[in-house]
Amino acid sequence: MNGRFTPGIAAILGLLAIYVFVAVLAPWIVPHNPLRQILLLRLRPPLTYSPSAGWFLLGTDDVGRDLLSRVVDGARASLMVGALSVSVSLLSGTVFGLLAGWFRGWIAIVVMRIVDIVLSIPAILLAVLTVAVLGPSFANLILVLGLTRWPRYTRVAYAQTLQVATLPYIRAAEMAGARAPRILLRHILPNIAGPLMVVATTEFGLMILFEAGLSFLGLGIQPPYPSWGSIMSEGQNYVASAWWMTVFPGICLFGVVLCVNLLGDWLRDRLDPRAQSR
Amino acid sequence: MSVALQVSDLRLAIGGVNVVDGIAFSVAPGEVMALVGESGCGKSLTAQALLRLLPRQVRQTGGRILLEGEDITALPERRLRQIRGRRISMIFQEPQAALDPLSPVGAQVREASGLASVAAREAVRRMLAEVGIADPDRRIDQYPFELSGGMCQRVMIASALISRPAVLVADEPTTALDVTIQAQILDLLRRLAAERGTAIVLITHDMGVVADIAERVAVMYAGRIAEIGPTAAVFSRPRHPYTALLLAAIPRLADEPKSRLAVIEGSVPQPSEYGAGCRFVGRCPFADARCNAEPPPLLETDDGHFSACWHTERLA
Amino acid sequence: MNPVLAVDGLVVHFPARHGPPVRAVDGVSFTVAERETLGLVGESGCGKSTVSNAIVGLVQPTGGEVRVAGMPVRGADRRTLREIRAKAQIVFQDPATSLNPRMTVGAAIGEPLLVRGLARGRELRERVAALLTEVGLRPEHASRYPHQFSGGQRQRIVIARALALRPALLLCDEPVSALDVSVRAQILNLLVELQQSHAMACLFVSHDLAVVRHVCDRVAVMYLGHLMELAPRDALYTTPRHPYTRALLAAVPEPDPALQRAKPRVPLKGEIPSPAAPPQGCVFHTRCPMAIAHCREEVPAWRHLGETLVACHRAEETPAP
Repeated sequence: MNGRFTPGIAAILGLLAIYVFVAVLAPWIVPHNPLRQILLLRLRPPLTYSPSAGWFLLGTDDVGRDLLSRVVDGARASLMVGALSVSVSLLSGTVFGLLAGWFRGWIAIVVMRIVDIVLSIPAILLAVLTVAVLGPSFANLILVLGLTRWPRYTRVAYAQTLQVATLPYIRAAEMAGARAPRILLRHILPNIAGPLMVVATTEFGLMILFEAGLSFLGLGIQPPYPSWGSIMSEGQNYVASAWWMTVFPGICLFGVVLCVNLLGDWLRDRLDPRAQSR
Repeated sequence: MSVALQVSDLRLAIGGVNVVDGIAFSVAPGEVMALVGESGCGKSLTAQALLRLLPRQVRQTGGRILLEGEDITALPERRLRQIRGRRISMIFQEPQAALDPLSPVGAQVREASGLASVAAREAVRRMLAEVGIADPDRRIDQYPFELSGGMCQRVMIASALISRPAVLVADEPTTALDVTIQAQILDLLRRLAAERGTAIVLITHDMGVVADIAERVAVMYAGRIAEIGPTAAVFSRPRHPYTALLLAAIPRLADEPKSRLAVIEGSVPQPSEYGAGCRFVGRCPFADARCNAEPPPLLETDDGHFSACWHTERLA
Repeated sequence: MNPVLAVDGLVVHFPARHGPPVRAVDGVSFTVAERETLGLVGESGCGKSTVSNAIVGLVQPTGGEVRVAGMPVRGADRRTLREIRAKAQIVFQDPATSLNPRMTVGAAIGEPLLVRGLARGRELRERVAALLTEVGLRPEHASRYPHQFSGGQRQRIVIARALALRPALLLCDEPVSALDVSVRAQILNLLVELQQSHAMACLFVSHDLAVVRHVCDRVAVMYLGHLMELAPRDALYTTPRHPYTRALLAAVPEPDPALQRAKPRVPLKGEIPSPAAPPQGCVFHTRCPMAIAHCREEVPAWRHLGETLVACHRAEETPAP
């Protein structure tokens, strides 16, 4: 990965495009209604054919819903949760980290103590409390994930800002007469974006899994609507007898997380002018 | 004349390009031989090759290194470990980074000596005193962070020399030090070479350091030796345009202030830009078609003074 | 005529986490007149870079006074500081880290003009092009990134950026120390030319006495936060009055074997003491070959001796080199 556009990166981008495409078009391309239960066809294995209902390519779940339709429909919820919660925490965490690293002093003390506190509260507890107060909804889910995850970015942004802020080109920007917002946005942010990108891409997969945990507690995507996480958590009771309920959403999750991580590495190098035209 | 170290036709390649291309020189016991050049000239890689400590991506594609007559280029790693520190040692630019921060300096010198502990302590103490460390009884139990940079370099020299190696490779040993400390260390190296008969290969970019302690000097440019000879001859009658320009480009205490310094146009070429001919061709005032096509051989111009230039006579 | 730069009793102390503060600069006074180049030499840790940073407010002076074109730096508000930095620009040592790797060269050079609202759009591009030409580069280099240039070219870019605001004072903090010998001469020639063509005053901070002699009109020698000697160039190099200056001159290896080996050696014993615990009396007495009991007790006054300013009890006795 040196930031060049290779067939490998084309494949990754293509695969991600398919994911997004499927997620957006889910309502039109699902073979079955993902919510319709056929109790006679519970826990059927992949490639089941029913003369009345047709093919169930990935089998059915514990209440007889078509697994393929649920996985396709769940892609939307999972990808949205991942993308939105990462955006919220990346944005807020980076802003706090930049400010703490640049102004240091009491701002840094306050911000970094809050970071320590938030990181030491069990995320599930924080999530339960937030949802208990605000009630379960998609917006609140994003809020919860953002609230619990921003300190990861703040830590990285803070450490990187401290380091970059000592470099002579930052002194030179001060000498030029640039004020803090310009120095932070034009000089520091682009030079700390690489490590933040790496954190964001690893967090993306974690967020999708975290949503699954919350769904399991009844705090995430509300049933009967599917997300990959909720499908897997429903399926874990049947791992021995109906492996497909966990394996297929798991494969989808694995694929998207891997692609996003690889894309993140590539983007980090791509955004670095030093990596090109060497 | 006996020879402590003889290097012939050394070639080191990174990714198919010979970044060190046919280096040859020898050093006699007690002699200080300098390899001088700018960054990217291959002097540090050459130094690492002498101890067979090359980075992984560097391959030796040719040449021999004879240490006291024994070819060490083909030795297995196990034999090399017996040679390093015993018969050939090295000191580095950043002495504080080269010492283990968690171990007392005396223990580090002792480790290099390979002696048992009781006899060793006295030997280490004497060695520390010999490299000019005042109060060795106290210093022997101190940690590197308690010593200054100059003192750490003395400790490095002590541990490099305690086993009486035939050759000491000194890679920019004073670059990280202040001038007054540099003067002390150079005096020390000069004295140790004379007293112990150690052959010193001094790697440096500083012509002043060369003038101070080297008996002979090889001027390197882009992986090749441009000129090699006795220091006095090379400085007073340079036979390669690179050496001549380099010497003219250095401000001196005797120059006319604010006068224009001689300039070597452009900058050192990257290995990817090396052509078929002389590697100085892009910056040389004498360059012609032949220089572009064919690398000049290293030929003797005066007694013991060699230059690799098609136009040596124009410098006379 | 007012000097472009007046430094009077400058003190900069850095608080240490443990123990006493580091006395980086401890009472330094000098002036730089219009069109004059003053050299500030000394070994690492002597505080010379801190002096240049304090002049433009990049570090806060603890005491004393610094005036740039008459404006006091100490306690300056943000607007005054901005004005001071329009008058005094700085060139740092390492061109590799002096330029933002994610910013084009043109954006870097134009930044002082852009953020101060002095030029934009087409006019900005033209002024950047003119600056690039002035430092020996080509206008089309503006769209490239710093990593596409060699060390010497990058230092040219840094110099162009420093010239953008037409400063009255240029601070050069070891501007050629990170460069290869063959490139060093190019940059020194450029700096001398620009200083003359722009009629700038210049403070040239360096550890290299030969380089300082080449570019400076007067030279100040610093040791452990204090000035030891300040003299016109020729006086300092031919009749150094301070034993430290003499030792420094003797320690610089001349690139000429005959001269270098004939040179008298003035070996300095010992090491530079810590600036957190400087010696009592004259700070140099622990290494001085001429130190007497008096030197350990009383700080020598900063006094005139001919055209030289020197801080040494025994300056009159300094033998000719």
